[in-house]
Amino acid sequence: MIRYIKDTDNIVTLTLDMKGRSQNILNHELSKAFHPVIEHLKQEKKRKALRGVIITSAKKSFLYGGDLDYLYNADNPEDIYAFAESVKEVFRDLELPGVPVVAAINGSALGIGIELALACHHRIVLDDPEIRLGLPEVGLGIMPGGGGVTRLLWLLGLENAFELLSRSKRMNPATALRKGLVDELARNERDMMEKARNYCLLTTEGRRLWDRPEGYIPEGKALQTVRSLAAQTFKKYQGNYPAPLAVLNTLAEGAKLHFDAALRIESRYFTNLLQRPEAKNMLKAFWLDRKAIADGISRPKGFGKFRPKRVGIIGAGQMGSGIALTCLENGLYVVLKDVSKLVAERGRDYVRKALDKQIAQAQIDTPKKEKLLKRITTTDDPNDFQECDLVIEAVFENENVKKKVTKESEQYLDEYAFFASNTISIPITRLSEASSRPENYVGLHFFRPVEKVPLVEIVRGKNTSDETIARAYDFVKAIRKTPIVVKDDWGFFVARVQNTYILEGVSLLQEGVPPALIENIGRQAGMPVGPLKLADELSLKLILKYEQQSSEHYGPKYIQHPSVPLLEKMLNELERPGGTNKPGFYETDEAGNCHLWEGLAEHFPAKKKYLKDKEEITERFLFAQALEAVWCLQENVISSVPESNLGSIYGWGFPSFRGGVIQYIDSYGKEAFIKRCGELKDKYGPRFTVPGRLKKL
Amino acid sequence: MAEAYIYDALRTPRGKGKSSGALYEVRPVDLLAQSLDALRIRNNLDTPEVDDLLLGCVTPIKGQGYNVAKAALLYAAWADSVPGMQINRYCASGLEAVNLAAMQIRADWGQLLVAGGLESMSRIPMGMDGGSLLFDPDVINRTGSIPQGIAADLIASLEGFDREMLDEVAFRSHQRAAIAWQKGYFKQSVVPVYDQNGILILDKDEHIRPDIDLESLSKLPAVFKKPGELGYDDLALSKYPELEYVRHDHTAGNSSGIVDGAGLILIGNEAAGKKNKLKPRARIVAAVTLSTEPTLMLGGPVPAAQKALKQAGLKKEDIDLWEVNEAFASIPLQFQKALDLDPEVVNVNGGAIAMGHPLGATGAMLLGTLLDELERRKKKRGLVCLCAGSGIGIATIIERT
Repeated sequence: MIRYIKDTDNIVTLTLDMKGRSQNILNHELSKAFHPVIEHLKQEKKRKALRGVIITSAKKSFLYGGDLDYLYNADNPEDIYAFAESVKEVFRDLELPGVPVVAAINGSALGIGIELALACHHRIVLDDPEIRLGLPEVGLGIMPGGGGVTRLLWLLGLENAFELLSRSKRMNPATALRKGLVDELARNERDMMEKARNYCLLTTEGRRLWDRPEGYIPEGKALQTVRSLAAQTFKKYQGNYPAPLAVLNTLAEGAKLHFDAALRIESRYFTNLLQRPEAKNMLKAFWLDRKAIADGISRPKGFGKFRPKRVGIIGAGQMGSGIALTCLENGLYVVLKDVSKLVAERGRDYVRKALDKQIAQAQIDTPKKEKLLKRITTTDDPNDFQECDLVIEAVFENENVKKKVTKESEQYLDEYAFFASNTISIPITRLSEASSRPENYVGLHFFRPVEKVPLVEIVRGKNTSDETIARAYDFVKAIRKTPIVVKDDWGFFVARVQNTYILEGVSLLQEGVPPALIENIGRQAGMPVGPLKLADELSLKLILKYEQQSSEHYGPKYIQHPSVPLLEKMLNELERPGGTNKPGFYETDEAGNCHLWEGLAEHFPAKKKYLKDKEEITERFLFAQALEAVWCLQENVISSVPESNLGSIYGWGFPSFRGGVIQYIDSYGKEAFIKRCGELKDKYGPRFTVPGRLKKL
Repeated sequence: MAEAYIYDALRTPRGKGKSSGALYEVRPVDLLAQSLDALRIRNNLDTPEVDDLLLGCVTPIKGQGYNVAKAALLYAAWADSVPGMQINRYCASGLEAVNLAAMQIRADWGQLLVAGGLESMSRIPMGMDGGSLLFDPDVINRTGSIPQGIAADLIASLEGFDREMLDEVAFRSHQRAAIAWQKGYFKQSVVPVYDQNGILILDKDEHIRPDIDLESLSKLPAVFKKPGELGYDDLALSKYPELEYVRHDHTAGNSSGIVDGAGLILIGNEAAGKKNKLKPRARIVAAVTLSTEPTLMLGGPVPAAQKALKQAGLKKEDIDLWEVNEAFASIPLQFQKALDLDPEVVNVNGGAIAMGHPLGATGAMLLGTLLDELERRKKKRGLVCLCAGSGIGIATIIERT
């Protein structure tokens, strides 16, 4: 578990090496293993037989994080608090004034891993750009509890510590050095150990800032800063995410207290967070659901792992260029084709600009940029696709054009390669009619902006083979995105469910609820934008098109959504279609400010007694989406709960503190949810009918 | 029941609340001690007769800390028997001190008290005492505590007051204050501030700008836009989601001025007046403090005034003159609108927009101003009210004897 080697200079090297695991993680087991080691070190110290301690790891990573399974299941506050305090005790023992302790960070150190390093007097890290250092806890709805928050407060000051913690950033060693997370970089492992030994030999006494009488927190109390951060935190999270606020509280209170009391405050907030539904929901989504998808929950079994090397992309617009960039960044070669080489070159420019930005932010260096740029070929000739393992078309949304590029490219592909379309609203099965090998034809629906949205819908057409799905799945994973496999129905999963949020918002307007109230409650419920704003972004035409496709799908069973007349009036009579740069529910004034259209008050006036109940409006928004997601499960549009949850969070920004669109139902309580649906159905109509599948979930 | 009579009211002039202001060089304890001196001399007071000094002060730290009321009493050599205490009810503090004194007298547990307030904002800016509602992220988020200026903008947005209306209030405040000064309406109450050699430091309100016009007011930037965008607007909208956005129209020009000053009121029962040969000027008829929704924060005056009227068994028609603190222009506007008042009987000699708002002292100052004007106009009743932090509202009704 922990290897103990003492050299002739009385320097002890502790090497973390957990049995039966590819990574070290700090669980109860490792935490317990530390206690006798610390006890022994104390004895050695007493005998004056200890010059220094170096902590390193035998694995590729240093210490990969905490025990998320434990954190997910932990519910007893006394146990959680005791665990946090026991870890802190180990860390505190290490850093107490005396023998210098050095962290020799030979690989990635995340969460509690970097917290251990922060509890050492000195941190040296291998200068390998693949190494990731950081504290991702807040992104999982929890916070560091091993003293990391309080130590960063003292090392970086309140504002910098908050920024680093609340953004959950993972950074490479060079950035970590710049941010003050580590003290020194080492060229290689030998250099690292040498530097660590030298530090031990040259340091007479290791003593932290907070153990010095003259020590102080950089920028001190920073009252105004705390105040601003409190407001900014509310603006960003609308009071829905307790983790960033708990971190801010810990920092703000810790800044006023002695170090050891501040550590206890940290444990108390840590304990509180872990019991909250928001933490459980986010751990469920980002830990368990993500793992289920990574383990291939919807990948057809029995096909060997597909390792794509070269990707063809048709269309050098924003979408095609974004896909190209993502592929390059994940080690793939790209052939980018457009109508002329000149147009295709725009894609290379796009990639270059994006990489320049990363250089400016010190995320990559110039040699890396040059290397990536060499891996992209631009062309106007489909013949250049010959070596490609797959080709993705991202041309504009026109059936004939899409069919044409399919035909002209396919002829050059070998029989193992597959062809993917990035359509958003044309059925894959119909597009595959143009294909000579429809079993090798699949939908790969990326989202805008490709670099940021970590989701891809894999659309299974009627003729798409299992093997093609498996390959598409492996490809999406290879570019480090989350794949969800969806059926070739209108809107697939993401657009179809997202649409119900918009329609519910429009229904409220139809009922005479003032638009500002609708929009604010949408955002306050945790959605990225209000439903009317979202309608404008997508265009009213597209929204009605989905509804039209739904009516074709259900035929005589179709019940028109009550929002349709209003949408039609907006589109046809009032000529406010929304979409790019066109007025819809919103309009932009001369100063460039975007506000709700004043005409709404005239054409859809607020009723005297309108629905004011924030809770009920919130529930209508969320229930509409959750129910549609269950219909999707029932109709096999999507086949698993983890995919539904992550698809909703990544795909359209369903609030992650609710754990995703299906977890919302679990978190609400299934029985209570079903009962509430009954009430909403009585009040607002059959769209709140519960699908049979829900009872079996 | 004993009646509480006002025997005297005085105040210092208000100095600009910054390092260039005339009172910046004057210690808070001096401001208060000089006011106590003036009160003693004017009324030929035998200080052992005074039961207590109740003093409002909103930022009671540093030079205003450690019970500045007692410090000034000792420094001004009042009798050892006067205890002195400092209270904080935000901007309502000065009037709260008066109301508490009146309650003691009406309960017959006190005979003669001094009440008032003190604030040296040039030396000790608002918020310097920290406080969880201002600086604790947990408390801010849980309670929806936003800066006052954004609350003022929120009220204007909800009520539909536009920039022009707000600037109009400011313009009128300066005009009225300038005329009042010119005609000597404040003469009776304002006691000049001197240095230790008797050299005059300030004898006029420094913040008034008689020459200000609507055009220059309209050019001032909206000062709460930035903090609003930082996130406080979102906090406001979480409580008032029917509003699309908070419009930021309050400026340094249509908000109250940041100033220094002190104000004192001498209050006693009938017997104490007779014993000390004091002439009663008015009777305190009603005193109310209550609190309203904390994010909107400044909505207290209307319900406080209504409750005070009810307490006194009066109707709004029974009130001749009104003073509602001009913390921000939207406050008197909302007050006039809600109670349907004639602007000609509200803040008739200007207010805090023109002369400034020395937080803890303002309530006592407004009461004195109201009393002087009732006397000058030979009118009977007046109501004074203020909004205060976190939704608090305060109102007092007085009636001339």
